Amino acid sequence: MNKTFINKLIVLGVIPVLVLSGLFVFQDRSFILISLLIAVLALLPIFLSFEKKEANIRRMVTLATLVTLSVVGRFIFAAIPGFQPVTAIVVISAIFFGSEAGFMVGALSALISNIYFGQGPWTPFQMFAWGLIGFIAGHPKWSLRLKENRLHLVLYGVFAGMMYSLMMDVWTVMSLDGTFNFSRYVTIAALALPFMAVYAVSNVVFLLLAIKPVGEKLERLKTKYGM
Amino acid sequence: MRGFATFHPFVLFLYYAMVLIITMLMLHPVILVLSLFGSLLFFLTIAPLRQFLLDLGFYFLMFLLVAITNPLFVHKGETILFFLNDDPVTLEAIIYGFVIATMLVAVIFWSKSFSEILTTDKFLYVFGKVVPKSALVLSMAFQFIPLFKRQIKKVHEAQKTLGLYTSNSITDRILGGIRVFNSILTWSLESSIHRADAMKARGYGLPKRSNFSLYKFEKRDLGIIGALFVMFFVIIFAYIKQYFAFNYYPAISDFTDTKQYFFYFLFVFMLTILPFMMEMKENLLWTFLKRKISASPIRNKKNVS
Repeated sequence: MNKTFINKLIVLGVIPVLVLSGLFVFQDRSFILISLLIAVLALLPIFLSFEKKEANIRRMVTLATLVTLSVVGRFIFAAIPGFQPVTAIVVISAIFFGSEAGFMVGALSALISNIYFGQGPWTPFQMFAWGLIGFIAGHPKWSLRLKENRLHLVLYGVFAGMMYSLMMDVWTVMSLDGTFNFSRYVTIAALALPFMAVYAVSNVVFLLLAIKPVGEKLERLKTKYGM
Repeated sequence: MRGFATFHPFVLFLYYAMVLIITMLMLHPVILVLSLFGSLLFFLTIAPLRQFLLDLGFYFLMFLLVAITNPLFVHKGETILFFLNDDPVTLEAIIYGFVIATMLVAVIFWSKSFSEILTTDKFLYVFGKVVPKSALVLSMAFQFIPLFKRQIKKVHEAQKTLGLYTSNSITDRILGGIRVFNSILTWSLESSIHRADAMKARGYGLPKRSNFSLYKFEKRDLGIIGALFVMFFVIIFAYIKQYFAFNYYPAISDFTDTKQYFFYFLFVFMLTILPFMMEMKENLLWTFLKRKISASPIRNKKNVS
C-alpha cells in the first residue's frame, strides 16, 4: 500500500482515537470541549496540506462545484430525514479526484449545508465523518476497485452509512453525558439503527444511480482538460 | 443598525470562542445558568419573536429529555431515591442531567446567534485570512447555490418549450428531473473550468494582490478585545485556582464557595451578558434619537436659534 496514504490515515484516525482513549483513563470532566477540539484538530492536516500545495485553480473550482452538487442534493431530499446524496457525491469525488479531494468535498459539504440545516457543536464531527469517508474511498487502489466493481461500491456505501452513523452517535453520547458512557453509547447506537439503515440505503441508491452519469462526466472533464 | 454585529468579524469570532470555551469547560451550575441566560437574551434581541418561541419550545423538550435520561444510565452518587429495574436512581445523577442539559441548550443558542451574527461574508473574511484556498472553494460553493437554482429553472423552461413535459405522470417527471440534472451537471463542470481559466487570466495566485474588504478594524474593536481578554483571563485564572470547582459525584457541593468567590462570577456574568447589553444600548440610543426628531421639528429649532 501507498505509504503517504497510511501516514495520513494515522494522523486522521489514530491520533484522535488515542487522545480519546487517554481521556477515558483519566476521566476528564471537560469532555465535550476536548472532543470538539480533537474533531477540529483532526480536520487540520488535510486542510493545511491543501493550503500548502500549489494552487491548481481548475481543480479548486471543480471541487467547489462538487460541494455545491452535494449541498443542493441535501436540500432536495431534506424532507426525508437521513436520506441524502451527500455521501454518494463525496465518494464519487474521491474516486475520481483522490483522497484529499474526497475529504475536502465531504468536510465542506457538511460545513455549508449546516448553515441551512443548523450549525452547532456537531458540525466539526460531521465534517470529519464525511471527510474521512471520502478520504478512505480515495485511496488509489480502492478507488479503482470502487470504480470498476459495482459490488464493492455497494459494500462501501453500506460501510460508509454505518461509519457515519456510529461516529455521529459518539457525539450524541458525549453531548448527553458530558463523558463517554459506553452503555449509553450502545443504547443510542441501537436506537439509531433505523437511521443507519436509511443512511446505508440512500448511499447505495445514490451511488448506483450517480456513478455512471457523474463518473462519465468527471472522466471526460479530466481527459479534456488534462486534470 | 445592529449593535453587536457591527464589530469587526475577528472580535465576534474571539467572543464566541471565549464564551463557548467557558460554557463547555466549566461545569459549574451558576456559570451555566449565566451562559444560558446570556445566550437566550441575545438570541431574543436578534431573532424574530415567533422563531425564538418555537426554538425555545423545541429545546425545552430536548432539555427535559437529556435531563431525565441521565439517571437511567448513570448510577453514581450517594443519595439513592428509588430503584428502577434493580438499578439505583440517584439525586446526584438527576441534578447532573439538568446541568449537562443546561450546557447543551446554552451551546446551541450560542451557535444559533453565531450563525445570525457571523454571516457567510464575515465567515469567509475570517477564514480567508487563515486558510485562503479552502475559503475560496467555500465561497465559490456559496455562490454556486443560487446560480444552480437559476440554471435549473432555465433548463426546465427550455425543456417545457420543447414540449417535453406534456403529461403529468410520475415517470415523466422523474425522467425530466434526470434530464435536467444531467444538463446541469455538464454545464456546471464545464463552466467551472471556464471560470478557473478566467480567474487565472486575471492573475489569481500572483503575489502582491490586494483584496477588497468591507471590514475596518476600529478603535472600539481594539477596546473591546482588551476588555474581552481581561475578562477571559480573570475567569481562566479563577478556574485554574479551583474557585469554580463543583462536584456532582458522589455528593453535590454546596454554594459556600460560590458566595466566597462571587467577584469572579461577576466576570462570567459580564462576559455572557455583553452582546445583549450592546444590543440594548444601540436600541435605547435609537429610540432616544427618534424621540428627539419628533419632539423638536427643524422649524422650531430654527426659531429658537
